[in-house]
Amino acid sequence: MAANFRLPVAESSEKREQIAFTFNGQQVMGYEGEPIAVALWACGIKTIRSCGATAQPRGVYCGIGHCYECRAQVDGVANVRTCMTPLSRGTSVSSSSDWHIEGA
Amino acid sequence: MEDVIICRCEGVRYSEILASILEGASAVPGVKKRNRAGMGYCQGRVCQRVINELIERETGQPAPLQRAQAPVRPVLLGDM
Ligand code: FES
Repeated sequence: MAANFRLPVAESSEKREQIAFTFNGQQVMGYEGEPIAVALWACGIKTIRSCGATAQPRGVYCGIGHCYECRAQVDGVANVRTCMTPLSRGTSVSSSSDWHIEGA
Repeated sequence: MEDVIICRCEGVRYSEILASILEGASAVPGVKKRNRAGMGYCQGRVCQRVINELIERETGQPAPLQRAQAPVRPVLLGDM
């Protein structure tokens, strides 16, 4: 997970400090406010979950909140589109698809 | 041609869509009821137009797009 796909230019002009969050229990780094999917991708993580029907890896497909391919469990909320959800410190992201309905 | 996935949410492939059209589906609901294409998380936003084009190509008949139904945007059941 040492991969870093950020552009060197962006990296040097980017004075902001990176924040830690977790993906499937593993600590990764990203910038606050960027889409979770982007932060994961910058760390080399393109597989966000696997397909329930075909078991193939799935990740960002449309990148604009249209297709739900990038969904993950974010801070306990199931099926969140990670390409649309801003990252914040300590966010817990998980591929797990076991979900519950709040208050049910 | 590789059997591409048309409906990514439900994992429905090109050959399955074609099979449902050959079986008699003449519009999107007919395809949906046979193989669940368009019934996943994105609710057909990605695959519906492709399915429509396949129906039109195979049957030679126009296949109308489905009407949008409320809620138009996906919401959590807990928010309703
Ligand atoms: S990649 Fe399509 S909704 Fe996120």
